[in-house]
Amino acid sequence: MIEFKNISAIYEEKFTALNNINLEIKDGEFVSIVGPAGAGKSTLLRLLTRELRPSEGEVVVDGVDLASVSRRDIPLLRRKVGTVYQDFKLLSAKNSYENVSFALEVCGATRDEIASDVPKVLSIVGLDDKSENFPHQLSGGEKQRLAIARALVHRPRIILADEPTGNLDMVNGYEVLKLLTKINELGTTVILVTHNRDIVNAVGRRVLTMENGRIVRDQVEQGKYII
Amino acid sequence: MFKEKLKRVIGSGWNNFKRNSYVSVGTTGVMVLVLLVFLALIAGNFLATTIVTTLKDKVDVTVYFKTTSTEEEIFNVKGDVSKLTAVKFVEYISRDQALEDFRARHVGDPLIQESLAELEGNPLQASLNIKAEDTTQFASIVSYLEGHTFRSLMDKINYYENEQVISRVEKISKGLQNWGFIGTLILAFISVLVTFNTIRLTIYNQKHEIEIMRLVGGSNWYIRAPYMLEGSLYGGIAAVIALVIFYPAVSFVSPKIGIIMPGVSLMDYFVSQALLFIPFLIVIGVTLGVVSSLVAIRKFLKI
Repeated sequence: MIEFKNISAIYEEKFTALNNINLEIKDGEFVSIVGPAGAGKSTLLRLLTRELRPSEGEVVVDGVDLASVSRRDIPLLRRKVGTVYQDFKLLSAKNSYENVSFALEVCGATRDEIASDVPKVLSIVGLDDKSENFPHQLSGGEKQRLAIARALVHRPRIILADEPTGNLDMVNGYEVLKLLTKINELGTTVILVTHNRDIVNAVGRRVLTMENGRIVRDQVEQGKYII
Repeated sequence: MFKEKLKRVIGSGWNNFKRNSYVSVGTTGVMVLVLLVFLALIAGNFLATTIVTTLKDKVDVTVYFKTTSTEEEIFNVKGDVSKLTAVKFVEYISRDQALEDFRARHVGDPLIQESLAELEGNPLQASLNIKAEDTTQFASIVSYLEGHTFRSLMDKINYYENEQVISRVEKISKGLQNWGFIGTLILAFISVLVTFNTIRLTIYNQKHEIEIMRLVGGSNWYIRAPYMLEGSLYGGIAAVIALVIFYPAVSFVSPKIGIIMPGVSLMDYFVSQALLFIPFLIVIGVTLGVVSSLVAIRKFLKI
């Protein structure tokens, strides 16, 4: 369970990115967050990875207030949350296999676990034949699938996807969406931030609409892209 | 577990070094230059110290005794002077020895040889050649001689003629020591800055990678360690290359310096001190690389 309680995020005492957000996301939900640029969608996700701290309020994940997590323990929090970004954020000096295995290495996984899990997850995202390729040798869709594989490999309870289809064409965008839906069906909570109307409408699950740092609409079931 | 982590860190550091080959070559090249500057500073200090020591060794005070003085009286003075703590050693040159030396010095000059043959007696005086522990102490030695009971036997003390030369040597030696030290410090400081900046740029190129490592849950030390290893590789390899360039260069230059400064061998110095210099340079290179990496990466770990 993810809870945002009276969350406000104010940058440099001028710009209010989030304004008194109250939100609950249950385990296993697939939530799409839509809204114009600057509405506060990505800020909401960055609070969950502790890249940012709220100016006011509490972000609680499974009963733990993220503000109480020490700097030392932030890596442990991030290992529970898989992240997928529009710009993929892949390690350019590492090949596909190493990009995924790195996420396991930092968790302290053994060599056997890595050797068993990485090929499986690469196979799930359809990149089993590209494990030796470096990110610059992959297409946009492949890069995003690799990023999803990395996010998935330590079996996180939550996947945060920030504009994962933003740099992809329609076909690849739907491929990524299919993967995220599949992951959600296996019990992982997925929070998707997107501008893509078709993608949101295709998912047809809970849709939150944000404007000026506030949630202005919360369609709990069969949500549609409405701004 | 620790062994496994260490293996991963070493593997990752080595892969970074290999895969960023252009950057690695550039960074290592800059560090080679920096370490060569360090070695050149050591060579410069050695030469400066040798020059000062040689100059100081050449400075002495000679006391000439009247021809009427007996050897016993001169030995008395020699005994007294030798007891002074400021005196390094005293050499007695008898009248006969002085004449022999004079002849030997002018063996190729027939005019002087003929003149000496025409003289009936030995015109040269016996002397005491005094060397001080330090050139600044000559004044006190001379003032002791001035007050000596046998002062009347002394014809001439050549300190007064050498006084200017002695004070100039003193000035040069102090100048070389002070400015050499300041110059070494400045150059060493600049070298450290250059290395630090080069490694900082190298790591800056990889700042996105570092941020990503943080975002997928990498702990600070797990991210830092491969970069530290990479820094140590830059430093270690640069030290080896610098030594490979420096020793042959010294063996080439050393005989040429020997012509200007007879008896001085830069090569002998660096060979005799090799067991000290080689590990020293490698330690400096590795430390510079590791510390620079550590400081440079700090900024990107704040996410």
